[in-house]
Amino acid sequence: MTAYLVAILTLVAIATLVGFGLNIQWGLCGLVNFGIVGFFSLGAYVAALVGLSGAGAFAGMAAAALACACASALLALLAARLEDDYLAIVTIGFGEIVRLVMLNEDWLTHGALGLADIPRPFEHMVAADTYPVAFLAFAVALVAAVFAILEALTRSPFGRALRAVRDDDVVTATLGKSPFVLRVKAFAIGGAVMGLAGSLHAFYLTYIDPSQFTPIVTAYAFMAVIAGGRGSNVGLLLGAGSIMLLIEATRFLKDFIPFLDATKLSALRLGLIGVGIIVLLIFRPNGFFREPRLASRSVAPQGHHADEADGAPRGPLALAHSTQSPGRAAAGIRPMTTIETTETRSST
Amino acid sequence: MLAQLLLNGLVTGLVLALPALALTLIFGILKFPNFAIGGMLTMGAYLAWVFNTLAGLPLLVATVLAAGSLALVAVLCDMAAFAHLRDRGAITLLVASIGLSFVLENICRFAFGNDARNFDIAVARPIRWQGLRVNHEQLVTVAAVLGCLALLYLLLRLTPLGRAMRAMADNASLAAVRGIDQTRVTRITWVIIGVLTALAGVLVGLDRAIDPLLGWNYQINMFAAAILGGLGSVLGAVVGALIIGVVEEVATLVLPINYRQAIAFLAIVLLLLFRPHGLFGRRAIRK
Repeated sequence: MTAYLVAILTLVAIATLVGFGLNIQWGLCGLVNFGIVGFFSLGAYVAALVGLSGAGAFAGMAAAALACACASALLALLAARLEDDYLAIVTIGFGEIVRLVMLNEDWLTHGALGLADIPRPFEHMVAADTYPVAFLAFAVALVAAVFAILEALTRSPFGRALRAVRDDDVVTATLGKSPFVLRVKAFAIGGAVMGLAGSLHAFYLTYIDPSQFTPIVTAYAFMAVIAGGRGSNVGLLLGAGSIMLLIEATRFLKDFIPFLDATKLSALRLGLIGVGIIVLLIFRPNGFFREPRLASRSVAPQGHHADEADGAPRGPLALAHSTQSPGRAAAGIRPMTTIETTETRSST
Repeated sequence: MLAQLLLNGLVTGLVLALPALALTLIFGILKFPNFAIGGMLTMGAYLAWVFNTLAGLPLLVATVLAAGSLALVAVLCDMAAFAHLRDRGAITLLVASIGLSFVLENICRFAFGNDARNFDIAVARPIRWQGLRVNHEQLVTVAAVLGCLALLYLLLRLTPLGRAMRAMADNASLAAVRGIDQTRVTRITWVIIGVLTALAGVLVGLDRAIDPLLGWNYQINMFAAAILGGLGSVLGAVVGALIIGVVEEVATLVLPINYRQAIAFLAIVLLLLFRPHGLFGRRAIRK
């Protein structure tokens, strides 16, 4: 039982790290990443390959974070100056490319067979029977370290600038901050954290193959960030940790419900996460924890909180409001798309 | 050889045109990219499969029933999920739509498992014509898609409903002021999208086997087609789909077959680099 608990907690720690990565990309900066599984698996493979080459596990981790940061920055460079919709599909495409390379480049990744005997950190310093506990401690320490760094980043001027880009990039640009540069940086940092999580995954299992990397990684991360409260690292840690514990615990359902096989169970889990994402978006758009921010009433007495735009009023006024509400849906950004469709449609 | 690839590519592109159109219609009218389209496509294929093999109906009848059912599913999903998120901005809708995609896909997986399924149809010998091999499935596909496109064109161009849809895509507030019932137009749009996607699901299922990842594997191609044409442009989506289909087939001459799925992604990347607003769209770059 203890072994089981340790295993689940380790998985939760890894998933929390992935959640942190998404939190800085999407929660803080508004960049949607649907290719999380791609970064996660890239991190795992880079860590494994570097580790297997004899450079050691820590060099593997560093390489994983670096590779993922570079890949993220590159994708963001491609897509971040465009509408968010493009980044979303580009990241899905990236995930697919990583999967194809994993499957097909046998000389590097051994294809569907995967990589085995991946060297782990502290392997020779800890007895084999206590290793899982030691690894959990290592994972938790890593989560704590990343948490501390991200929390400092979030509260720094850089973090405020990222939130500003998310809420209204035009205003941010007017104030002299380049939304483009900020987006690329945020995406790269998030990618690095996901790569780190991927390397932990590789170390934990010591064996990786393409079948381990499914969209459920992406789904988990979104669920975690939405539940925890976009932009709040504390929320992610507490809320998401407990929710992922719950989801992981659905493994036990198999023992009680006889007709539930592994496929049905994973389908049930992913389906429930999907429902959870939608339900939380509708009923708790700000998650269980608010992101840290300065009290805006001390700055602008009658100003509105940007995140109150999330709960924009409905009813007769909703239409008028939707074109005037602050934030990402603001009139200053969307009408371009509208104009675009106007012209193309009339020419059809 | 090249002629055969071109032919195959055009047929692939025609199938792709249906979900690309569905994407572009939602984007035009509801202003968000619907990532649930993959899940919807999968569900459409499974619905048709259920009516076809489990209920024993001919494929044509099964397709009509599946189209009707998926239209209903689409409207219900809109009422249950998207309607509550309408004024929260595109990003929220986009994330909700991927959630919905997980739900739809996994309903299929839960019910039917991961095994590949096939429609219950007679296998016919391909027709040979001028040295080209033409499958019956390809003929059916061409006829069905062209018919569907013609109907959709007439609907958008000539009916009051089509005018209402175009008005709403142009300027929703203005359309509302002129007395267009937005809820009704939105629902009907979802019905159209359901029908288009279900038909696409059946056609893709004819071409490949049906499995829960059917739509997901197709997702990048659909978006590539819609983006290539300029999101929101109806004609663009069709042309974009044809281009993606042809390029994908012809590229197998130079690229290993395993990387076929990467082509649509490469197309998106090149497009973002050189013509970010698509072939038919206008400016979408933010400053």
